[in-house]
Amino acid sequence: MRKNNGYNVPDGYFEGLRTKLSSIPAQEKQPTRFQKFAPYLALAACFAIAVLIGNFILNKTTVPSASDDEIIEYLISSDITLAQIEDFLISNQ
Amino acid sequence: MPRMDERDFNELVDKYSEQLYWHIRNLVGSHEDTDDIVQDTFIKAWKALPSFRGESSPSTWLWRIATNEALAFLRKQRVRAALRFQSLDDAAERVIDDDPWFNGDEAQRRLAKAIIRLPDKQRVVFCMRYFEEMSYEDISEVTGTSVGALKASFHFASEKIKDLVQLEQD
Repeated sequence: MRKNNGYNVPDGYFEGLRTKLSSIPAQEKQPTRFQKFAPYLALAACFAIAVLIGNFILNKTTVPSASDDEIIEYLISSDITLAQIEDFLISNQ
Repeated sequence: MPRMDERDFNELVDKYSEQLYWHIRNLVGSHEDTDDIVQDTFIKAWKALPSFRGESSPSTWLWRIATNEALAFLRKQRVRAALRFQSLDDAAERVIDDDPWFNGDEAQRRLAKAIIRLPDKQRVVFCMRYFEEMSYEDISEVTGTSVGALKASFHFASEKIKDLVQLEQD
């Protein structure tokens, strides 16, 4: 029997959870070998195109500003660590 | 061991999804975050299923994925708080105060907040030992940490929780 720690869940949550989890195999089909490498090839192609276009656009437009929240979420998605943040803040005092 | 397939995956869902939910909930606190992490765990498990060869039991393997997902989430949560110049302790306490699916008494609230403030590794071993009543050997298989180190971690976690709960009472 689970120790009561004060945490609860909505009614019917676990039945719904099992249903949701059981649909994962249908949603996440196993990739073929080509499909595994396709994203990297697509990324390389996009990068090459972006470099070409970026050179042109940077000279013609101003850089749009991002909100603080957008910057924070971008940094988090890049797996930045607390140690890296500390180093940055210390070196920029 | 023969490769696991979709039927095996669904058996894992039926057998372990609820237990795994509580394992993750003890670590991260919030119901909404736990819901996300449980799903991420099983998605990762499904994708890794073809390479699972039975080196460990299916439950140990699942618990390992879930624990790593929860720890990754907690790291991002700390980075987010630091980037917003929020106190990490305040951010941790808000997890409990803001969760509509926490309705424990005052003692349970103090304990939940104290656990949220533990360092990650102490939090993992404390929750697995205290709430899930797992043996140190089983925890060692999940975390890859020696039994001796786990016992020391549990001791320090318990002492820290006693101090934090006492602080809240004063």
